[in-house]
Amino acid sequence: MDFSLFIFISFGNCQVATTPLHYHYQSIAEDGCSGNIDNNDGDNGAIKEQRAPCTLSESENPRVNRSATIALARFIRLRHLCNGIRCSSFTMAGTEAKKPAAKQSGGKKKEVKKETGLGLTHRKAENFGEWYSEVVVNAEMIEYYDISGCYILRPWSMAIWEIMQEFFDPEIKKMKIKNCYFPLFVSPGVLQKEKDHVEGFAPEVAWVTKSGESELEIPIAIRPTSETVMYPYYSKWIRGHRDLPLKLNQWCNVVRWEFSNPTPFIRSREFLWQEGHTAFATKEEADAEVLEILELYRRIYEEYLAIPVIKGKKSELEKFAGGLYTTSVEAFIPNTGRGIQGATSHCLGQNFAKMFEINFENEKGEKAMVWQNSWAYSTRTIGVMVMVHGDDKGLVLPPKIASVQVIVIPVPYKDADTQGIFDACSETVNTLSEAGIRAESDFRDNYSPGWKYSHWEMKGVPLRIEIGPKDLANKQVRAVRRDNGAKIDIASADLVGEIKKLLDNIQQNLFDVAKQKRDECIQVIYTWDEFVQALNQRKMILAPWCDEEEVEADVKARTKGEMGAAKTLCSPFDQPELPEGTKCFASGKPATKWTYWGRSY
Amino acid sequence: MLSLRLTSLTHLFSPPSSTAIARRSPAILRRRNHHLRPRPLAASFSSQSAAAETQDRVDNSKNRVSDRVITPRSQDFNAWYLDVIANAELADYGPVRGTMVIRPYGYAIWEAIQEFLNVKFKETGHSNMYFPQFIPYSFIEKEASHVEGFSPELALVTIGGGKELEEKLVVRPTSETIVNHMFTQWIHSYRDLPLLINQWANVTRWEMRTKPFVRTLEFLWQEGHTAHATPEEAEKEAIQMIDIYTRFAYEQAAIPVITGRKSKVETFAGACKTYTIEAMMGDKKALQAGTSHNLGQNFARAFGTQFTDESGVREYVWQTSWAISTRFVGGIIMTHGDDAGLMLPPKIAPIQVVIVPIWKKDDEKAAVLNAASSVKDVLLTSGIKVKLDDSDQRTPGWKFNFWEMKGVPLRIEIGPRDVASGSVVISRRDIPGKQGKVFGISMEPSNLEAYVKNKLDQIQSSLLARAIAFRDSNIIDVSTYDDLKAAISQGKWARGPWSASDEDELKVKEETGATIRCFPFEQPQGIKRCLMTGNPAEEVAIFAKSY
Repeated sequence: MDFSLFIFISFGNCQVATTPLHYHYQSIAEDGCSGNIDNNDGDNGAIKEQRAPCTLSESENPRVNRSATIALARFIRLRHLCNGIRCSSFTMAGTEAKKPAAKQSGGKKKEVKKETGLGLTHRKAENFGEWYSEVVVNAEMIEYYDISGCYILRPWSMAIWEIMQEFFDPEIKKMKIKNCYFPLFVSPGVLQKEKDHVEGFAPEVAWVTKSGESELEIPIAIRPTSETVMYPYYSKWIRGHRDLPLKLNQWCNVVRWEFSNPTPFIRSREFLWQEGHTAFATKEEADAEVLEILELYRRIYEEYLAIPVIKGKKSELEKFAGGLYTTSVEAFIPNTGRGIQGATSHCLGQNFAKMFEINFENEKGEKAMVWQNSWAYSTRTIGVMVMVHGDDKGLVLPPKIASVQVIVIPVPYKDADTQGIFDACSETVNTLSEAGIRAESDFRDNYSPGWKYSHWEMKGVPLRIEIGPKDLANKQVRAVRRDNGAKIDIASADLVGEIKKLLDNIQQNLFDVAKQKRDECIQVIYTWDEFVQALNQRKMILAPWCDEEEVEADVKARTKGEMGAAKTLCSPFDQPELPEGTKCFASGKPATKWTYWGRSY
Repeated sequence: MLSLRLTSLTHLFSPPSSTAIARRSPAILRRRNHHLRPRPLAASFSSQSAAAETQDRVDNSKNRVSDRVITPRSQDFNAWYLDVIANAELADYGPVRGTMVIRPYGYAIWEAIQEFLNVKFKETGHSNMYFPQFIPYSFIEKEASHVEGFSPELALVTIGGGKELEEKLVVRPTSETIVNHMFTQWIHSYRDLPLLINQWANVTRWEMRTKPFVRTLEFLWQEGHTAHATPEEAEKEAIQMIDIYTRFAYEQAAIPVITGRKSKVETFAGACKTYTIEAMMGDKKALQAGTSHNLGQNFARAFGTQFTDESGVREYVWQTSWAISTRFVGGIIMTHGDDAGLMLPPKIAPIQVVIVPIWKKDDEKAAVLNAASSVKDVLLTSGIKVKLDDSDQRTPGWKFNFWEMKGVPLRIEIGPRDVASGSVVISRRDIPGKQGKVFGISMEPSNLEAYVKNKLDQIQSSLLARAIAFRDSNIIDVSTYDDLKAAISQGKWARGPWSASDEDELKVKEETGATIRCFPFEQPQGIKRCLMTGNPAEEVAIFAKSY
């Protein structure tokens, strides 16, 4: 059977060079053998309190061995991975890394822990990859699973996805885009039609070959994206100009069986997304929609996730294969010096209309072909948010997407009026909830306030409110910001107004800080030497370019290496002035535009 | 008449059709035969010769669209159902046998279901999350009766990224196994309980006999999964969720389901008890519209899902799972539809009110449209889902039929005379003809808003009342097996005392085609004797043929 027939087009152009995030889970497991594992039921369920971060100093905290327990939990999980479904690259990386890691980091880890007093064993600045994979697990966003590259989205991350949906879905409905649902399964016949567009998806498709005990006559593909599923119906449904525009969107899962290093949210074999597919009578309408959608994507990033992005157009080499042009919002991760494509909005032109015979009769009674767009954003957005805002204490959530914006923690003291404190906490939660603020309290009696502080810091809750005897006496609460640690006493009477102000402030501050960091990474260069130097310094490079495919291919070839090659990120819509006579940094030919370059995810 | 009856479904019949789908996938032809009654006309179409006529056929199909006619419901219920789905643009057949494309109008009904239930789930403390779609085969095998129940229907992925996978992966048919696998890692002590989660997802069951919405290879659903410290809590949860489904069915979908417990034979593979809501469709067949399972400790034992209780003892958790799927959309169609097409309860209708402006002369048009759009604005601002059909391509009569077929509960007509008198004409979908039509309703905003809202409420409750009357007139109380056979052969539901064996239950199924739909929660008083054996019986059961 020839499984290379099928295909489709990389929706997000996310063919990526090897990621720098090498996940050596073993290294976390180094002192696992000393952990307090409850071993009474074998591999399953043996780990106690694995999800709680270790926070207090050892003398205060009965759970001193937690980090060891976490480590062992990971180790066991890794063994599951190795024994169960194997992803070759993953397993290999794991086994090779095992021993050296165990030797090196035994002492070092404890040091870090003491210094930071935290549940994270890795620092963002020192070991970004491991820091990331630790944060997404410890903040209870992701759970690893026996199938490599498939992750469980826990309520903490699902809520973020839902909040973004709650913004985006009504916005596209205002644009008269309607939701629908097309099947997960793609018949090879339809995929086959796309032979010309091979490169994209052929190697990534997962195939259903059996039902029950019997072999299927023809294997059936699982959608990597839905163009081939949807467009035959567009051909069927669109007859005359009155059927246009046809504007559909679906929220669904897609599967791309990649073998490169999987990374939670950023690159997983199954992910959630929305994919919009629209058809118009004229190119002008399609062009306008591309930008309208791109603006919504910018707003998701900048207004909700507090991440600065650059809107621009992809190069010919990086655009959606088969499309006319691709626009995107590009974010940047300063720690790794990599650009990351945030979301894409493509104008497909009439190429697909031609392939799928999506024709209509125009107002003059002539046969014409439709103009199409497609656009998507995925759960990758959440990963970018973690990378940009997270710190050594864990996740940092922008208030607008946090499912808990304010966590209220009682701080009882020996002889104090405990009930009074608890009542004040409940009242605070109620007052805030009534004002539309997502607030919760943590009344668990088996954890100390200090542990709770660290726990909710790990989970990234934007604001913590502490209420102790003194606060009770003074009719105030103490608010502590997650983003900068500032402590503010707020009179109970001013609660709602002040908290709202603070949340707005945090949202803005996160954006400002992220923007400042991103901007510091942007470097304007004019020559190849400057380019190489900037690349080595992990910059987001803005360079004058001649906009020729061969030149980009050449830059890729010349920068190939362990870190992955550099490529264009986008040509920003907002173009700085390009003085007459400026030369392309790579070819020396006359430059036609400014373009962002860099390594990317 | 027949020549007008080419719907978009029959349109697909023809291999040389201009539609790309039919040409690409021979599977579609197989499926057509499977699903549809033979249609002589379609056959003649498919014998037409190919590509040269493409243009011609496109035109034909366009004319056909305007003259869609639906098979009368009384004549052929199944054909009616498929016609309604096609003509009301609820769904289309998918590219792979047994799959379907849910079109915007059908999807909007699903969204209405989601909006209601999602809020209810959150109010009752459940969080949404998302589990992977692929499950290692070894997970499925862990719970013996579960694998037995599901294995014939499993879709298996064996090839990914061009390579043979080392372990075959199951495309989730339901997520109990993967959920338990994770619960085992998340649950440690009693403090972690109850754990209450839900996911909205697609699931796959490789069914042989499929029908849009009712049974498809892939469908959308929500699946709730919970773990508790005690059997009492689990039981309470299972009952709470079936109650939420029951309320949804009655209050939103106007479907008077009968809530009860499944017989052992019909219990979910791996569950201790299954609660169900059973709905009577327009053809009197039963539709299982939602289920809630008390899983006991079956999965917990298979997966070792334990917790340390307050006294430090390790115990297995007690679990539930519960689900409602896109099948419910099929239930709505088959409960309320009539010969004219779909009939939607206002609370789940994507469009609650359609406004049809009527003008004859060009100089009337502006005033009429003006009034129509101000009426639209009034209703929109008061939160009513309203559509103004101001296209000038179609006659008002055509529009009336079209929106009736789409099941829109209320129609507002505005003509020049109405504009002059500042009033509108309002017609109810559920009462055909003049009886459902009221003239001279003032356009004055507060009056109109109140009137429309009131009418929508009336329609909602009258749909429910009608469905209850229909249901009750088609359930026959039986006390012997002969009574039961007679009732089933009349196509009705039979309700009678039952305490016989599983074998007897299977015998009933074999001999009559009916199964026990449920032991209803609402039980008649008095002493009961099993209709089959004459032995004392504690409960009555409802028998019916089902989807």
